[in-house]
Amino acid sequence: MTERGPFLSVSHLRKAYLETQAVDDVSFEVAGNAEQGEIIGLVGKNGAGKSTVIKMLAGVVTPDAGEIAIEGEPVAFRNPQHPKTLGLAFMHQELEQLPRMSVAENVILGSPVPRRFGVLIDWRRLHAISREITDLLNLDLDPKASVDGLSVAEKRLLMIGRALHMRAKLLVLDEPSASLTGREIEHLHEICGRIKSRGGSIIYVSHRLQEILDLTDRVIVMRDGRLVDEGPTSRFDQQTLVRAIIGAADQSLSADQKRLRSRGDVALDSPVVLETEGLTRGTAVRGVSLKLRRGEVLGIAGLVGAGRTELARLIFGADRRDSGTIKVNGEPVAPRSPREAIRDGIALLPEDRRNEGLVLDFGVRDNVTLAALSSFTSRLRLFPSRRRESRQTAKMIERLDIVAADQEMPVRYLSGGNQQKAVLGKWLTRGADAFIFDEPTAGIDVDAKAQIYDLARALAGEGKGILFISSEFAELTRACDRVVVMREGQLVGDLSGSEMTEENMVALCYGR
Amino acid sequence: MPAGGVDAAAPVERGSTSRFDAAAVKDFLSKYGVLLTLIGMIVVFGLLSPHVFLSVRNLKSALAEMAPVAIVAFGLTAVLVMGDFDLSIVGMIGLGAAIVVSLMAKSGVPVILAIVISFLIAAGIGTVNGTVVAKFGASSFITTLAIGQVLTGINLKLTGGQVIFEGVPGGFDRIAQGTPILGIQNSVWIALGFFVVGYVMLEHTAIGRYMYAIGGNREAARLSGIQVTGIRIAGFVIVAVCSMAAAILLSSTAGAYSFTLGSTYFLPTYAAVFLGAAVLRPGSFSMLGTLIGAVFLEVVSNGLATQSAESSIVQIVQGGVLAIAVLLSTLEGRRG
Repeated sequence: MTERGPFLSVSHLRKAYLETQAVDDVSFEVAGNAEQGEIIGLVGKNGAGKSTVIKMLAGVVTPDAGEIAIEGEPVAFRNPQHPKTLGLAFMHQELEQLPRMSVAENVILGSPVPRRFGVLIDWRRLHAISREITDLLNLDLDPKASVDGLSVAEKRLLMIGRALHMRAKLLVLDEPSASLTGREIEHLHEICGRIKSRGGSIIYVSHRLQEILDLTDRVIVMRDGRLVDEGPTSRFDQQTLVRAIIGAADQSLSADQKRLRSRGDVALDSPVVLETEGLTRGTAVRGVSLKLRRGEVLGIAGLVGAGRTELARLIFGADRRDSGTIKVNGEPVAPRSPREAIRDGIALLPEDRRNEGLVLDFGVRDNVTLAALSSFTSRLRLFPSRRRESRQTAKMIERLDIVAADQEMPVRYLSGGNQQKAVLGKWLTRGADAFIFDEPTAGIDVDAKAQIYDLARALAGEGKGILFISSEFAELTRACDRVVVMREGQLVGDLSGSEMTEENMVALCYGR
Repeated sequence: MPAGGVDAAAPVERGSTSRFDAAAVKDFLSKYGVLLTLIGMIVVFGLLSPHVFLSVRNLKSALAEMAPVAIVAFGLTAVLVMGDFDLSIVGMIGLGAAIVVSLMAKSGVPVILAIVISFLIAAGIGTVNGTVVAKFGASSFITTLAIGQVLTGINLKLTGGQVIFEGVPGGFDRIAQGTPILGIQNSVWIALGFFVVGYVMLEHTAIGRYMYAIGGNREAARLSGIQVTGIRIAGFVIVAVCSMAAAILLSSTAGAYSFTLGSTYFLPTYAAVFLGAAVLRPGSFSMLGTLIGAVFLEVVSNGLATQSAESSIVQIVQGGVLAIAVLLSTLEGRRG
């Protein structure tokens, strides 16, 4: 090993889907075989082509043209197993878990299972490995626990753990920090640093630009399928990075200022849209009482596992509550199903949009009209009118700025941000008095994030109430009028005005 | 330079030139393979025995034979769209025939009333299937298999497995065998009616959309306010009612009840639906697809029969065709 060529080199990669050129002539290299690995930040808006590049590296998608070489050897990945044998490991946006299997079984997935006598699984060793990995991730998980009970964040960390266990030379993390909280992100960065010092390299995809600046050595910027900028991280700051990502300067700044100006204090005597009293389910949600006023964006801060999603599901009738009451516009309601909650005027934008928000094989149109289909029917309330559905969908595509080839293309092929907008379009079409947004901006690019804040604000302006759940506390301070904090299933704080700072939220979350 | 020899510098120019490659041929075949095979079989059987296979008489008898299979297959399409199975169809057809014929021949119930009662019982059985599966969350596969066995048992208990032909009113025979309209047997028109209703329901009503949504993502459908449980139960009711209709046509055609009526229906009905999923919208079930699938299978069995093939050959070919169809639609689903 005299020559130290790059571990990975990618040249002139291209891939088109239907009419979209998802990846257009992309070339880059990742160093390797050194004492010290490197961490490369891969940034760009949703739909910029980052995920497609990664899928090609992972052997999930076959390039239309171009070449991938590992340690100088050109390779054509035949299947998703192939890259792993060459020292690549991946954490995709979509979670790959074995449902109903244990934590330990998921950690070991893709690596050889420890055995006794050659055939029997050595459960003790397997559980020890699992413990070791979860300790590394600062997760306190029983190796025997089922992954079904884990939160999205815990599942994602577990996938990083799986890649850690494989001791990959190049680890590709696609949005690893999405919907993680501050402390968890710190741990994640710590682990990334450890991998780097052991000679492993990382391609790190994130929409959180601050962590790209903090963590990475080099940045690659993609836009519209092309690689538009590349250089050492030290060359960039937040502003130049945003400019490279968006392509046009000061666009988002003015939008930001507009937002700040439009945010007014919600009058205390504004009527209450949604009120809960002593809402309880097991230990996940304990005696939560809150008031959401008309025209208010009320943030719910908390750590992953604090019970925020569970609270949202209780209000939405998706889970059974043990006790407590819910009122909409002062009227007591007792939704026993989402159907009833929707009728009562509540809408939920779920945390897991792919599995809970969308029918992925449906086009934008069929998703947008799904919750309000009967309002598109003519006489007999039997036959929805395609024409009216299309008109409404066109309106939503326009209002929400959804990028899709047409109304019928399955939303499976849309980027994360556009998928989220399709879910939003569904609820705007259905209409509601109280909207619950559960991690609406997770894994979404800066532009789309700003659009979602604007939309929440616009809905509030129309007299709706919005519950805005987020693990990104900075965005809560920007998007919300008031923020309540949940910890261990309980409300532990109510911040508004000048108290509504990230520091205060963090302090309340950790109980300091 | 490891540029791979591809003109990476060429302007964005995709689609038109690159479509004539192996992938495109494969794409074309998997999309139209079933239809092409269907046309090919008609041509081959037609050439082999033009005076038998292509005769009007054979065409009519083929359509009549196909009718009850197609009706059950239409019903199955509704549940399969939602991701459920109903394996109780054979039990349902057998018991259905036993009930309707017994009511008339043994209890002297008038034809119309017997049919109404039979359909109500079928709807009840479908509701039981659906409730156990959709409300209590049991696996549809094993639940309907078990209930189908129960139905067969009740059938045997009811009739002792004896043929019933005495006392079947002539009016009942006329349902399937009555004076043909436009030269085509009644049962064919009835099947066509089921097709039209099923097609309109799945493609043009809100319920149909909900069914596809439930099949696509049950949790998202529930969180969109769709009555998932109720619609899934309705699916099982539809299958049971369709099976009952097939039972009536079969016993009316035979002018009698026999224990084995419909006992061979398992494979051709499922084969029709799965072939259908390989025909049109790739990997997705549809009424039109099911209709084409049913025609396909009838061409296979009828064509082989005109060649005096043994029934064992017919079975082998039908089974093989189903396996290939499932393979085709799986390949479809995997792309993209």
